Amino acid sequence: MFELEFLLRSSWILTLVFILTVFIVPIKFKAFFTSSAIILNAIITSWMAFPALSGSLVYYSFYAGSFLGTIPISIDGLSSWFILIVNFTSVTGVLYGIGYLKKQTESASKLTLHWILYMLFHLSMVWVCMLQNGLVFLIAWEIMSLTSLLLIIFDNNNQKTLKAGINYLVQMHISVVLLTVGFIMVYYKIGSFNFDAIGTYFISNNNILLFLLFFIGFGLKAGFIPLHTWLPHAHPAAPSHISGVMSGVIVKLGIYGIFRVITFLKFDYLLIGEIILIISVLTGLYGILNAAVNRDFKKMLAYCTIENIGIIGIGMGVGLIGVGNGNALLYYLGFGGALLHVLNHSLFKSLLFYSAGSVYHQTHTRNMDKLGGLIKDMPKTAVIFLVGAIAIGGIPPFNGFISEFIIYSGLTEGIQTNSISQILVFVLSFAALSIIGGISILTFTKAFGTIFLGNKRETLNKKPEEVSFIMLLPQYLIILVMISVAFVPSLYLNSAGVILNSFFKNSFVLNSSILYSYSNTLLNISLCSGLFVGIISFFLIIRYFVTKNRTEIIAPTWGCAYVAPNNKMQYTGKSFTKTISKIFNFFIIEKKNYRELDESEIFPLKRKYESNYFDFFEFRFFDNISHRLVYTANYFKFIQNGRVQSYVIYGIIFILVIFLITALNII
Amino acid sequence: MLSILLIIIAGFFFTGVIIRTKSIASGRKGPGIFQPIKDVVRLFKKGAVYSETTSIIFQIAPTIYFASVVMAMLVVPFGNSKGIISFNGDFIFFAYVLALGKFFSIISAMDTGSSFEGMGASREALYSMFAEPAFFVLMGSLALLTGHTSFQEIFQDLHLGSYISYALTTLATFVLVMIAMIENSRMPIDDPKTHLELTMIHEVMILDNSGFDLGLILTTGYLKFAIYGALIVNLFIGSFDIQYAIPLFFTIQFLMAVSIGLIESFMARFRMNHNAQFIVVLTSVSLLIFFGVLLMLGKFI
Repeated sequence: MFELEFLLRSSWILTLVFILTVFIVPIKFKAFFTSSAIILNAIITSWMAFPALSGSLVYYSFYAGSFLGTIPISIDGLSSWFILIVNFTSVTGVLYGIGYLKKQTESASKLTLHWILYMLFHLSMVWVCMLQNGLVFLIAWEIMSLTSLLLIIFDNNNQKTLKAGINYLVQMHISVVLLTVGFIMVYYKIGSFNFDAIGTYFISNNNILLFLLFFIGFGLKAGFIPLHTWLPHAHPAAPSHISGVMSGVIVKLGIYGIFRVITFLKFDYLLIGEIILIISVLTGLYGILNAAVNRDFKKMLAYCTIENIGIIGIGMGVGLIGVGNGNALLYYLGFGGALLHVLNHSLFKSLLFYSAGSVYHQTHTRNMDKLGGLIKDMPKTAVIFLVGAIAIGGIPPFNGFISEFIIYSGLTEGIQTNSISQILVFVLSFAALSIIGGISILTFTKAFGTIFLGNKRETLNKKPEEVSFIMLLPQYLIILVMISVAFVPSLYLNSAGVILNSFFKNSFVLNSSILYSYSNTLLNISLCSGLFVGIISFFLIIRYFVTKNRTEIIAPTWGCAYVAPNNKMQYTGKSFTKTISKIFNFFIIEKKNYRELDESEIFPLKRKYESNYFDFFEFRFFDNISHRLVYTANYFKFIQNGRVQSYVIYGIIFILVIFLITALNII
Repeated sequence: MLSILLIIIAGFFFTGVIIRTKSIASGRKGPGIFQPIKDVVRLFKKGAVYSETTSIIFQIAPTIYFASVVMAMLVVPFGNSKGIISFNGDFIFFAYVLALGKFFSIISAMDTGSSFEGMGASREALYSMFAEPAFFVLMGSLALLTGHTSFQEIFQDLHLGSYISYALTTLATFVLVMIAMIENSRMPIDDPKTHLELTMIHEVMILDNSGFDLGLILTTGYLKFAIYGALIVNLFIGSFDIQYAIPLFFTIQFLMAVSIGLIESFMARFRMNHNAQFIVVLTSVSLLIFFGVLLMLGKFI
């Protein structure tokens, strides 16, 4: 297709030109320059992707030398859905980044590198969604991982940041190894690296093994437990515009990969669906529990990302069970809910990361127990964070409710089956989803309450003030899209429906009347959300008129007759979630560091009390394993002794061994 | 429409009946049944004191809390007649709309910067989180039993025929009553008449509210009770005609108020740190209902 070829080439050339010229742009305008590149690229690639949403497959292939052969590129609805999400979030990220990096006194070369990486990063994500050949896909995937790594360690003077970066690097490469093995398995049997070959492989081979390989590979990116341990380190380490994009999009590309593999499955839907459902429920619960107790607000948001991946996974599990049962309604509700939640989460999570980033930008601390009362200094950021918090809790009238409602409906519809094991799984997931909702209210009331409300807990070096318009603008844009999802969901759900129509065509007969009744229900919900907003504003207006002329006295907070309260006595985020961390202490590991009062200490001096929460899987399993590995590796230290002579001997021995075993025909 | 009228009327006398029962049980003369309403009307006329720490959140939160309960009220059906809003899965909407009100009441408590109100807020968030799965498993089992997913259809198809179904309804009533107690912060979870801020839940959250806002919060509490009462009534009157249903509605609401009064008169409050366990027990009762439903439908093989 001519148009696609033209667009693809122009996006490449454009990026190349921008990368080459960003060097000579003055340091002040580098960020603006990059954002124009990202916006242009986003427009071009969205243009390519858009027709696919209405069902027309865009297909193109190019010849990439004798080794790789012909590379097929196709944009179907699924790719298009993710490309559009990638584009939107990347654009808001770069706009936010303009303001976020403005005050940084970094050198020009570092900023140049940062923005070049950002352009490559954006393009690689788009390519990941389009490529249909395993090998080239892995190359794009690798570029995405490496550029995002370099973006994360922007603050490279900080040792913690570097450690988080290396952690990310290692885990992403374990993921790449698994994916490579998966593609090679397919190649070995079928003889092709193209994605279609996976479908052919599944017809005649065991579905579960290969699927699990891909699931673990992509799951590392997505953050299903216990593969999530890089998330809570990488997200706080990255600058906020990067963490917003990472949490909003990169993690979702893991979901894209799983989705893509699912579409090729041929058997064992029920088993795979139940596996995904159970892992996702546990992921959701684990993520939100850890989010509730952590006081580093970016870490809290990172754990909350894990929770939302769980919710998306629940949708996918429900959908697959629907395919297995031949139940079209479940298929549409499950996968539709999952797709919509991918979109929703990319919106409100990037919103929350940006507004949290604004707080960090002004206060230079990520510990919410040091903050407080910021709503008076940063009212706009506070309202934005509040909107994000309500939306992410899945509370109407915002968009999070729509997707969670669809997934809930999938679960309630799923209950009506004859298989006792499925009924059990569905009811327990139903209960778990409601607990997840409950804890996320706890988490976000804590976060909003301690960061923005009450009094300042500690005096900051500089009085925080509202961030610049260029940082607020992308957040307003996101809120606009969120509102459109909440009140006109059909706009997005129709596309999701088109995407889902193209897969699993032979698995069930469509009963359009049931689907119609559900689209009616969703219409009802957005009407109800509207009514809800109406009722709230009605009562607010009444309140305004009733209390307008009443006397109003301003007095100190009631301190229960204690007359000398100070700001340190406020309830803290830590104490807010103390009870829940105590109840779940088998899962939430708390380490305290303090010295008890001695008996002889009549006049105690000032002392410190420290308490930190650790990740269960990391602390109990991975740290142990890696410690053992390092311990064992120590015995082989003598090999790497720094003497050139020994290294030459290693070389000679190696050549000799190779010579001998070939000469003696051993291999 | 009918359900809203009935709930509002029930809300008028519900708390009054509780207080009257308690006063009779303790041998006092006690206030009249409409005293709570008179209190609210008096509060509506008053001015207000705001803490200097608070922001706009503190001012709008009570109204949003009230509005969320009004919205939830629209979803509740009455026997054969639907609520104003009714769709598949409306009970999920019901729970989440109430969650918005809770969200705002919690952050408004945090807004005062008090060392006590945060404590109440934290407990409120925790307990309602634990109560949530009980409600969802209960509604999920009823949905499984009837094959429907909206309040009105579920209640309409809920026939009381076999012995098991009587047992299930009794358990369901128990769960709903206990959820109502948790949501309204009554005994045995919370004691509205306690005198120490450290042991309060709901009362400590609203220490700083006054005037119109306090009136709204109290009204919300009355309505919430009546809403949960209405849900319980619905368990029984599914297929009755209106002339029987309305008297039954008031009888059951009255009985519920009296029994709450009796519970509060003769029972001590649970220890605060065991409350969470107690609330989790509710979920297991809900699971019992779920297994009962499986038994009734013969899904156990």
